[in-house]
Amino acid sequence: MSKTKTAGITHYEILFIVPNKFTDDEAKTVIGQIEKIITDNEGQITHREYWGKKRLAYEIKHNAFGYYGLFEFDLEGKNLATIDQALRLSTDVLRHQIVVKKAKTEEEVAQETKIRAKIDSKKAAAEKKQEEKAKILSSSPAVSKSKEKTDKRVDLKDLDEKLEGILNAKDLI
Amino acid sequence: MTNKKTKECYFCVNNLDVDYKDTRTLRRFINFYMKILPAARTGVCAWHQRKLTAAIKRSRIMALLSATHK
Repeated sequence: MSKTKTAGITHYEILFIVPNKFTDDEAKTVIGQIEKIITDNEGQITHREYWGKKRLAYEIKHNAFGYYGLFEFDLEGKNLATIDQALRLSTDVLRHQIVVKKAKTEEEVAQETKIRAKIDSKKAAAEKKQEEKAKILSSSPAVSKSKEKTDKRVDLKDLDEKLEGILNAKDLI
Repeated sequence: MTNKKTKECYFCVNNLDVDYKDTRTLRRFINFYMKILPAARTGVCAWHQRKLTAAIKRSRIMALLSATHK
């Protein structure tokens, strides 16, 4: 989260925690208020998420649970400080974090999907190869392995018997 | 527990962005004591390791990840 006043519109993402003292419906109204704070400062919300009640990784002000909400919005940099200040002073928000998020253009998204498809096809090919190798390997040596295992068990039994014998002998001494 | 097999950067190979909300993938780069693992051990490239440490710290602030194991 930057506090510097940058010119021009940037894409931000805000994640916040509403404390557990509210019910689920009340938390949603609080989230509505947060949305209003952003829109009042000439922010345009492009994406909304509500994660619901989640356990916090550690207690914050004796709250073990919290309602998570997330917004993505476009805003002029100079208005960010007022939003940040309003949320920091609010007692209805446990914690919030504003992060600059890179807005992806359509070209970038298309390129990413292309690369993703390539990677997936490569992975599938690699898995096929491994399966073929496993098939060849599993035919013969598996049997011998099982035999070895049984042999070892027999050895262990013998050892146990020997040990007992030695212990008994020591008692005699 | 050194993993000699993974020498490639997880984020470069899979063409992924480091996201502080995605705790499941962040967990791969944290040990039992919730400490950030060195790049030499996880195989993450230097560019992504910088993004990764920032992301883990962000998720710690938002109580998505714990800073300690208790």
